[in-house]
Amino acid sequence: MLSRDVGIIGYGSAAYDKKPRHTVFGYLGEAARAALASAGISKNELNGLSVDANLGADTAVSTAEYFGLSLSWAYKSTAAGAGPIISVTSAVRAVDAGLADYVLCLGGGAQDISSFKKRIAQFTAAVSNYLAPHGYGGPPGMHAIIQRKHMERYGTRREQLGRIAVDQRANARLNEAALLRGPMTIDDYLSAKLVADPLRLYDCVMPCSGAEALVIGPLDRAPAGKGVRLLSARERHNHPVGEIAPLCGGWELFRDALFDEAGFSPREMDFMQCYDNFPIMAAMQIEDLGFCGKGEIGRFLEENGLTHDGSFPLNTGGGQLSCGQAGGGAGLLGLVEATRQLRAEGSARQVQGASRGIVSGFGMISYGHGLSASAVIVEKA
Amino acid sequence: MSIPAYPEPALTSTNRPLIEGWRRGELMLQRCSACSEIIFFPRELCPRCWSSELTWERSSGKGMVVSFSRVYSHVTEPFVVESPTVLAEIALTDGGVLLARVITTEPEAMQSGIGVELVPMPEAARYPLPTFRPIV
Repeated sequence: MLSRDVGIIGYGSAAYDKKPRHTVFGYLGEAARAALASAGISKNELNGLSVDANLGADTAVSTAEYFGLSLSWAYKSTAAGAGPIISVTSAVRAVDAGLADYVLCLGGGAQDISSFKKRIAQFTAAVSNYLAPHGYGGPPGMHAIIQRKHMERYGTRREQLGRIAVDQRANARLNEAALLRGPMTIDDYLSAKLVADPLRLYDCVMPCSGAEALVIGPLDRAPAGKGVRLLSARERHNHPVGEIAPLCGGWELFRDALFDEAGFSPREMDFMQCYDNFPIMAAMQIEDLGFCGKGEIGRFLEENGLTHDGSFPLNTGGGQLSCGQAGGGAGLLGLVEATRQLRAEGSARQVQGASRGIVSGFGMISYGHGLSASAVIVEKA
Repeated sequence: MSIPAYPEPALTSTNRPLIEGWRRGELMLQRCSACSEIIFFPRELCPRCWSSELTWERSSGKGMVVSFSRVYSHVTEPFVVESPTVLAEIALTDGGVLLARVITTEPEAMQSGIGVELVPMPEAARYPLPTFRPIV
């Protein structure tokens, strides 16, 4: 069980850029300053740090050196896009166990499309040795294989999945921080440039630069009415073992325990923030976390609106499909947006009366798919 | 003007039979002596039972396309020139599943469920890893 007395007491984001203006530390620092201001604590009260970012040879500890922090707890995730949810959950446990008073959880990246494309040939040894020599097309190539399989097995159609990209863009148009805010219709989505058939341009996230941050601490130190409690969290890695292009990601293994421990059902979630590197992965998180049956996402998307004022608010800030994928920040984007919503600070995109929601993560691309799944249920403290 | 070479896998003691086998136009796969699991990509222990008693055997190289993508967006030569390339999940008739390139002059005719076989020598020598073509 997670502590009911420790949670998210502050959040912040760096301004995003299509091309990096700073190093990754510059973006992380900008998000960190905003998060401290939001929490109402000072830098020298921090003694815990987690980092989800591609830092080259640097670590959470050398990040502390850069930022001038003395730490009693330091953590760097191993699960890429699924990692920040795990980092934040671990930070709650660390504070609860007395290992740290306040933990700063950072996620970010300094990249653009061309630097990202150079990196994708070397995600893991398996990718560089057994996929890159085939011209595998990066994450779009492997997710295209997964999406085609889903379409052929369940009858899922592109015009159904397109609702994810189109409705999230509508959310992004109310979020000044989103990099992609132009109007998008379903026809724009369907007729966009082919990237890796059946994926087209608006199926694919845009790598960018930016950062997200949360402060974890005792909820009674949060500004009045601004704390966010984690009710339950789970992770799963490398499931199903040995499948190259699976149609489930591991969320289905823990969803019952996740909701049971939280004490709420999927219907009682006021929003979902999921890891939307591609609409097909958002779709699989909706299925695997029990909002509809496996293979029923097409009908679910026809029957629901995903905008902030729709029947199933999804990625209410636009998600990474519209905000951009700021490296390790993409896995923290949903939890930061959930915090914003639960603090009633969503401005024009506020989900009215939002008191609890679910956030899910996905990532660690290797031979054929992302290996890691995570999810957390959060509520207004 | 010469076309740059394809990216090459790192040749290691673990994958040497796969890489060198393909230079002869053969698909060599690992099999676990303890549990009979076919293993891809090459490893130093069986991911199913953790035995290190692994042997190499030659696959017929025949298989079926489970799913695939026509990849249009490439950043590295010579894939840019050859776009769209076809990447497929292939279930091998003799056991094992892998992702590999399928060479075809008619990418629009690709379908899940079709049969594929290895590209034969000498064309095979162009490609750094076992590469397939539709069975016509």
